[in-house]
Amino acid sequence: MTFRTKLLLIFTIAVIATVALVEVLVLGSTRRAFEGVESQRVDALVAQFQLEFDRSKQEIVRAVNGVARSDALRDFVTKADYWPYRDVDEAQNLASAQGLKLLELVADDGTIISSAEWQAHYGYPEEWLTRPADWHGMGAFLKREELADGVALSLVAVAAADVADRKLFVVGGQEMDRDFLATLVLPKGMRVLLYRNLEPQFSPSELVASDSRIGDAGRLQPLVERVLAGRRETTRILGSGIDAEGFHALPLAGYEDSLLGVLLIGSSRRELVELESSLRSTGIWVAVGGILMGVVLAWWATARITRPVQLLARSAGKVAAGEWGTTVDVGPADEIGKLAGAFNRMTHELVEQRQRLMQAERVAAWRELARRLAHELKNPLFPLQITVENMQRARENYPEQFDEVFREGTDTLLAELSNLKQIIGRFSDFAKMPAPEMQPVDFNRLVSETMRLFEGQLAQSHIASKVELTPGLPVVPADPEQMTRALRNLILNAIDAMPQGGALIVRTLSLGNGVRLEVADTGQGLTPEECDRLFTPYYTTKTHGTGLGLAIVQSVVSDHKGHITVESEAGKGARFRIDLGGG
Amino acid sequence: MTAPAGAETRPRYGGVLRVEIRFAGESADPPQTGPGPADLSGSFTITEWEAGRRAVYEANDGAAAGRPYLDRIEVLLARPLRDQSADLELGRADVIELGPSELRRAVSGRKVWSSAPVRVLALVFGSRVEDARIREALSLTIDRGVIHRVLLQQQGEISGALLPQWLSGYAFLFPAATDMARARSLSAGLPAAARTLTLGVDDPALRPMADRIALTSRDAGLTVTVVTGAADVKLAEFRIVSTDPARALTAIAGAMGAAVPAVNAASPEALYAAERSLLEGFRIVPLFHLPDTYGAGPRVKGGLGVSPLGEWRFDNLWLESDRQ
Repeated sequence: MTFRTKLLLIFTIAVIATVALVEVLVLGSTRRAFEGVESQRVDALVAQFQLEFDRSKQEIVRAVNGVARSDALRDFVTKADYWPYRDVDEAQNLASAQGLKLLELVADDGTIISSAEWQAHYGYPEEWLTRPADWHGMGAFLKREELADGVALSLVAVAAADVADRKLFVVGGQEMDRDFLATLVLPKGMRVLLYRNLEPQFSPSELVASDSRIGDAGRLQPLVERVLAGRRETTRILGSGIDAEGFHALPLAGYEDSLLGVLLIGSSRRELVELESSLRSTGIWVAVGGILMGVVLAWWATARITRPVQLLARSAGKVAAGEWGTTVDVGPADEIGKLAGAFNRMTHELVEQRQRLMQAERVAAWRELARRLAHELKNPLFPLQITVENMQRARENYPEQFDEVFREGTDTLLAELSNLKQIIGRFSDFAKMPAPEMQPVDFNRLVSETMRLFEGQLAQSHIASKVELTPGLPVVPADPEQMTRALRNLILNAIDAMPQGGALIVRTLSLGNGVRLEVADTGQGLTPEECDRLFTPYYTTKTHGTGLGLAIVQSVVSDHKGHITVESEAGKGARFRIDLGGG
Repeated sequence: MTAPAGAETRPRYGGVLRVEIRFAGESADPPQTGPGPADLSGSFTITEWEAGRRAVYEANDGAAAGRPYLDRIEVLLARPLRDQSADLELGRADVIELGPSELRRAVSGRKVWSSAPVRVLALVFGSRVEDARIREALSLTIDRGVIHRVLLQQQGEISGALLPQWLSGYAFLFPAATDMARARSLSAGLPAAARTLTLGVDDPALRPMADRIALTSRDAGLTVTVVTGAADVKLAEFRIVSTDPARALTAIAGAMGAAVPAVNAASPEALYAAERSLLEGFRIVPLFHLPDTYGAGPRVKGGLGVSPLGEWRFDNLWLESDRQ
């Protein structure tokens, strides 16, 4: 992955993370704001319900007191021939006069005299009325009401009436049903349900709504049961999506603190969900736009930032490839500009140092060449000088021996001149290294033939040779003559390294499509420093030789796009490896 | 043309008696048996019959017992009890029927005519209710006392017998008390489906009584639903049509659809045994014996207008304000 791609990726991730964070924060903030508004709406509705509830209670108390003080009740009590059971219809008459749905006239012993809601209920006991209580102070309260067609939840008040020395209770009120809930004025999107806790277990039929929409009563069951168990207000969100509805559940305590109902104030979350959805979709579009813009800007910024870096990288690559004088545009005076300047200075220094190094190496090479030439030329020149001086001395002092001396002297001179010629020829050969003529070469065969030439010399030098050839060695394009020369130089080098004899191993190995030649000896070995300089022309560790052998080997291998290495430790011999072909 | 001698010797009080009754009289022809308008035959001659609305009877100058004092009787049919009571108070009616609630109201100048308890209110189980335990359970839940006090305003008699005490002399031997504990015990042994009954009542005036029976049955674990028309058990009224106990019992049994017992009228024991055999198994559950009760306005003179069996005896009535 390129630096530019990495940078672009980092910028993109940063933009996406930022946009996502902003989106989450905006949505969260909006949700909290709406939750707050929703909570206020519910609180307002709860307060409204309490007001309506209190108003209903007051109306019931007023109506019941109206019945207790009415002339009709007085007539009923005083004019009855058969007190208390005079007319079972009386309660109905009184109830309709006061607008009450429920009304019972109860004797002071607790038996029902007349019941508006259940005419046949006369004579039945209402024992709870006989217990001492401050009915006036109690006001209206919730009560479980037995009716002819079942059980109902009622809001009733009790008034004790003393009429003509006859005491009776007037119990009247309204049924807590859909009609009652319909009196509550609800904001749009809100509704009220009442669960009448009249059965031992949760019963969906005990749920009544201000409208006909009860919906899935089952989903309300856990909330109702929780409120009934905890006897405290609870708020829950039921459902999901646009069907979600927030419910504020209010426990309704009744007579003697029994929990007779749960008021469920439902608030549709449709608007909130739709708004959230709208915000989310808008946010997504904004985010996508922001991300795209961010990516474009990141791409632009990345390109701007990485272009000089890429230039530097390309320039560094050129330097690595040998174009030492490569420079880059310095650009603005920022860090990248400073880096470019430093790079240019570095390459400038590198060029200068390389030139200095080359010059030094050239000087060193010339010195080495001069030394080697001096050394090589001195050896034959010294016999030449001695021979000539002997010949001069013999002519002057021993003329009778001059012919013999002359003959020996000229033989010596010719031999040394031949030696000088050879030396010059080797230098000339190194200078004249031709371009390789490539052809398929079987290196097993090349090694075998070359080693055969050295059999006598190796035996004379007390060196045991061993040839290890890998069968099926790939045929590699090479110049057989130059490769033979290189192998020969390595073998000669090994022979020179083992003046006291030793072992020579020549090995071929397969490298996929290429081959490896190994020439190992058991000679004196090389120090690491000697290893580093081994292939330098005219460098030699031997007391004789031109120092061109391994330089020629390296030149040949290099011309074949190959690679030569040496492994050695002082006293443990050396191993030369030539790798050719194989990519 | 000369008037009959009997008629000439009697005072001619005359007048039109306005009578209101609940009887619907929806048949095309006027009723032929009493009590009620049919009792007027002989002394009066029907001149108009509008089924379900009214009937007009004119005095029969040739009546065997002599011409009645009244010139004419106009009978308003299918009149609710409350409306009858209001009409009497407002002077729009002279003779009305009195229901229990109207009976105890103090109305100035009103006379009350009562027969002996000649109507028996009873529950009659249909053939679907085969298990005697549920029949007995329902009969034991009925609180006759409170119904008698409240709905009947202590009119008539609580009874567990078909024939009233005044007629048989042994009615008190038939139990009429509530036994809720035994009713619950019997009910508990019944399957749930069997504990559900429909109680049919066709007369709206009897509806409160049926409601009360349904209510108290709950205390024994029964579920009784009051309906009109066909039902498992009917609350109905039957009439004593004869002062002969044996004939009366036979007639009631026949009206109830029960097997008519062979009764020896001369033997009270046999009569008792016959009635007891009718009531065994609780297919028939007598509740009350009620009299026919009428209210007459202050203008109506001439003594009781009904016989002990509730028959109309309007021959000797006259209207005071119309006296000539």
